[in-house]
Amino acid sequence: MKVKVNDAELELKAGTSAIDAIFAAGYDVPYFCSQEYMSPIGACRMCLAKIGAPRKDRDSGEWIIDEQTGEPKIFFFPNLMASCTTAIMEGMVIDTLSKEVKDAQNGMIEFTLVNHPLDCPTCDKGGACELQDRAYEYGAGQSRFVFDKRHQEKHHALSELITLDRERCIHCKRCVRYFEEIPGDEVLDFIERGVHSYIGTLEDGLPSNFTGNITDFCPVGALLDSTSRFRGRNWEYDHTRSSCLDCAVGCAITIDARTGRIERIKAARNTQVNNDWICDGGRFGHEYVDADERLKTPLIRRDGKLTPSTWEEAAAFINDKLADLGAKETGIILRADATLEEGVAAKALAAQLETGQLDHFPRLAASVIPQGVRATLNDVATSDAILVLGDVSEEAPIVDLRIKEALKGVTPPELMPHGVPLADLRLKERMPRQREILTVASPYRCDLMKHAGSTLTYPAGTEVELLASLLQAANGEGEISEEAAMRLGSSPEQLNDLLKRLSGAKNPVIIYGAFVLAASEASNAVQALAKAVGAKLLAIGPMANSYGLEALAVLPSHARYSVQEMLRGSAKALIVSGLDVAKDAEAAKALKELELLVVHDSFANATTELAHVVLPAKTAYEKEGTVVNLEGRYLPLKPAPVENGQSEDFCGLVKFLGETMGTRLEGRSVRSARRLLKKRLQLDLSELSEEGYLSPAKAKAASKFKLKESYELEGNLLLTPSMIRHEQLSRNAHLHAVYGDAALRLNPADAVAQDLNDGDVVAFELQGIERQAVIKRSEAVPVGLMLLPALPEQPAALLWLEPTKLIKAAVAEVLA
Amino acid sequence: MEAPQQITSRKDPRFKVSMYEHVGVKNSWTLSYYLGHGGYQAAQKALTMQPSEIINEVKASGLRGRGGAGFPTGVKWSFMPPVDGRQRFLVCNADESEPGSFKDRYILEDDPHQLIEGLLIGGYAIGASKGVIYIRGEYYQGYQRLKQAVAEARQAGYLGSNIFESGFDFDVILHRGAGAYICGEETALMNSFEGLRANPRLKPPFPAQAGVYGLPTTINNVTSLASVVHIINNGADWFSSMGTDDSKGNKLYQISGSVERPGVYEMPMGASFRELIYDLAGGPTMAIKAIIPGGSSTPMLPFDDEHLDTPMDYGSIATKGSMLGTGGVILIPTEKCIVNATWNLVRFYAHESCGKCTPCREGIAGWMVKIYQKLVKGFGQEGDIELIEDMADKIRGKAFCPLADACLGPVQSSIEHFRGEYEYLIKNGKPMYSKSDWWSE
Repeated sequence: MKVKVNDAELELKAGTSAIDAIFAAGYDVPYFCSQEYMSPIGACRMCLAKIGAPRKDRDSGEWIIDEQTGEPKIFFFPNLMASCTTAIMEGMVIDTLSKEVKDAQNGMIEFTLVNHPLDCPTCDKGGACELQDRAYEYGAGQSRFVFDKRHQEKHHALSELITLDRERCIHCKRCVRYFEEIPGDEVLDFIERGVHSYIGTLEDGLPSNFTGNITDFCPVGALLDSTSRFRGRNWEYDHTRSSCLDCAVGCAITIDARTGRIERIKAARNTQVNNDWICDGGRFGHEYVDADERLKTPLIRRDGKLTPSTWEEAAAFINDKLADLGAKETGIILRADATLEEGVAAKALAAQLETGQLDHFPRLAASVIPQGVRATLNDVATSDAILVLGDVSEEAPIVDLRIKEALKGVTPPELMPHGVPLADLRLKERMPRQREILTVASPYRCDLMKHAGSTLTYPAGTEVELLASLLQAANGEGEISEEAAMRLGSSPEQLNDLLKRLSGAKNPVIIYGAFVLAASEASNAVQALAKAVGAKLLAIGPMANSYGLEALAVLPSHARYSVQEMLRGSAKALIVSGLDVAKDAEAAKALKELELLVVHDSFANATTELAHVVLPAKTAYEKEGTVVNLEGRYLPLKPAPVENGQSEDFCGLVKFLGETMGTRLEGRSVRSARRLLKKRLQLDLSELSEEGYLSPAKAKAASKFKLKESYELEGNLLLTPSMIRHEQLSRNAHLHAVYGDAALRLNPADAVAQDLNDGDVVAFELQGIERQAVIKRSEAVPVGLMLLPALPEQPAALLWLEPTKLIKAAVAEVLA
Repeated sequence: MEAPQQITSRKDPRFKVSMYEHVGVKNSWTLSYYLGHGGYQAAQKALTMQPSEIINEVKASGLRGRGGAGFPTGVKWSFMPPVDGRQRFLVCNADESEPGSFKDRYILEDDPHQLIEGLLIGGYAIGASKGVIYIRGEYYQGYQRLKQAVAEARQAGYLGSNIFESGFDFDVILHRGAGAYICGEETALMNSFEGLRANPRLKPPFPAQAGVYGLPTTINNVTSLASVVHIINNGADWFSSMGTDDSKGNKLYQISGSVERPGVYEMPMGASFRELIYDLAGGPTMAIKAIIPGGSSTPMLPFDDEHLDTPMDYGSIATKGSMLGTGGVILIPTEKCIVNATWNLVRFYAHESCGKCTPCREGIAGWMVKIYQKLVKGFGQEGDIELIEDMADKIRGKAFCPLADACLGPVQSSIEHFRGEYEYLIKNGKPMYSKSDWWSE
């Protein structure tokens, strides 16, 4: 459609809003209520424009011509129109520069400021405030309002994470709409009416995993991230765009640091991955980085005590010890969120030491690279049939949001010259959702089930059986029997419906996580099922770079050199990065026998207690590098300026070791690692775009899957992935205040049977690891099952725990 | 043959009261009374017609929506999308809350079956099997009577399934408001009915496309639906024989303020203010300076011969710079301070602003009302009138829904016609007329 904005003529697609036409033409209008990815509502009335269009004669169907100019006559709307809610029409004329429009903008700014406190000098939003900017650009510069302004609560804690200043609110409704439209958690609304209306919750807190996003797009300083309140002015922060490493999604984030501290993390835009959203775990989980007890210098154990040292000394110490050892006797363990560059460095070091004992952890039984057609997150958002296996909302929270995007039935917006459309008229408040396209199957009732048309709670550990039944039916090799379906907590109708929906869909996607990856058979089955119904696959690996490290083959040369084996004595020396492997009592025993234990970590822990050398490690926010997310997308990491002493990433460790050994190892620096990767990948990672690079999928034949006669249930305690990184929770004060200590969730009936009450603290040993948890009764957990958050050292799995071994902490103390 | 003269006066012998015929009669709200006076005959007749015939009949009658905006009812009905199996709704807007309007109240209280019958006919015409009556929360008596009437109608088979053996099913849901004027705005009403916050919705989509719960919906005023009953009974020609060119039929006019007999009067459209005020309501009880012609949102007009002889129809009042609105005439006595009277109305609108859009929330509810308070308390300053005028310019036509503009009706018209009183008050710190305490706190 042809549209004219002031003097610029342009061609735009039908359905575009007038405000997007204005921005596409390179002009500006002020706006407060419009927001990318959310419904336009026309509430703030800032984006008023004079809009007109030609008309066709009703009888002849011809354009009505202006006698004077000979051109089609433009009929202007009698009133100025909110451009965010007006769709363009053929030949539309939009004027944003006339005096009429300027006067209206002037007036609207004056009205908006009537009750807005001018406390900009003490407001955290100052310098990054839309109202400040717009008042400066479009306001008259003074107010004629001579009365008292509205007084309301200025420090209202919506939750421990978010503080609301009700005086500053300009009622744009972005936050209210956000909760209904994006995560679908309606936890916020206006209360009261007229000039007295304010934002509030009905119940205490904001029960949602995506609350922090409202602090990003609040146009004023009304909603603020409590972790960063009064910590700095916007112009003092160093803004570093990087990627979040808290899960396999790799959301784009902006790290705001000041004087060597990370003060806050904000969501950055990646239209392919996270749109504008991040989860609360990723946003608020950074406080540990600035903890006082952070390791900042290399330590060498001398006379049984770890004493401060230098990297050179430490490297020499390690080199001396390693020199006495033969080939294959050193083991190297990386955490699965190490960067590709660190992976290269680890491989180079392993090669130098002539050892095949190299692995990353957590690494589950099955490959995180699906054999079959890989789905991207945009595939998920445009899918018309989704099967979810597991609890994605905790495992990879943004996948949860992208699924909810698919439920709206509106494809991700096409980018305009100015980026994501400001007002996508296809989006509406309280849109009907196509729940029927979503099926969620999980061993317990998970959050996403609220949004699913079909849900099924299967007994934990029966993933293979469930998938096998579906596969059999899909391949026409056998009907699903009533009995089999019942055992899976389902019915033949439900499973057949699911199959019909998947195979009948244009773009079906199967999403699966740790519960399936924990068993290679289940993984094979899901891949075979995807092939049978023509679905794409999205596998959620246990950590941020599980995909990348597996693709790079940071793997043992032989199964007998896996992490588990290394910790059971296959190595005589170990270099462990980022994992507290000594949590496991049996592993700790083996570690004590080692000739050399080098621990590369950011904090002291059980493993550093045993270490001969402790090397300070950079956290995810301080590294430069690349990770590959669950889609197979290469995403860049940029270092934020954080005071971390002599911390180094694994590349740094390899550099120092190499220098002592008298050799220049590949991967001794990010640059060096990238040189190697460039040859391998034909991709220069130093020039990676902000949106990342989606690696081309390599077609691999799906592994054959054969159903066994029967499967036995292996346990009663399910280690579940969670949005919160429990290993750092104690150092993340704000998150801890909301989420509390790790919870052991169990059905109330089981809790009664074991005489456990909500809030009881229990201690128990789980496969050698001492765990402590708070009892939380929950109807979401089936009888006979217990849920406990996984740890990096103890990834998702189904285990066995004798319920009588749950000992209340108070009792345990007495026993001790 | 020359067409007979249009009926434009209640004094015309051909005019007969229809909608209010039974108001005020004892037990008029019962089904037995209603049936005894020809009740549900129109519905029975309508249900033998094709829905399109009914719509055409209503279109031919020239009936325009009686809620204030005056949109042709038949045309509105024809906007409903083709029947596609989805649930459709006919909503009756009985949230009558505009100061000066009280015509619906007595239908709800004294003749509820008339409304139910109208709803039934309308529902049949647009293919809606669910009728919703959204009744103002304060109309408790009306609610009770309506509740009883609906129960009676259900019992007698006028509501329910297969009504009059026609195969048409229809039932009515009663929903009480909770005291918000904004719920009279049709989209806010739908939100409120759904249990949401009563904010107006974006149009388009219009209710016919996506109304209650996103389903096809038509919303009509109580009086519009009551009129339909008589159009079906007496024919479109009967209805259109009353009124003027652009305003057909009869209408319920209300009059309040300083008159002998305030109340609701059924008159043909096009009757003059003079007939209403002097012939029916018995004339003013004291000197009058201004008329609000159709509910508080319509701009006030000076009380003079020119305006008294203006026919009360859509077009004629518009040419005088005001609106017919709901036909709720309010007379403002000369002795009453006009600034104070306007403040009273501004306070009402400020109180009722929903808070969704900036000009209404901050402009009207946050600011305008304070300026009026300042004037009335005698603290007015030079420039305040100009400030009000400028603010009005910056609000008019720029708010999300008509509520802000409705407030500007009395504001701008009172300044236009009585600027002297404003100036006097500002200059002297006290009003030109002393009787200011009538409506103030």
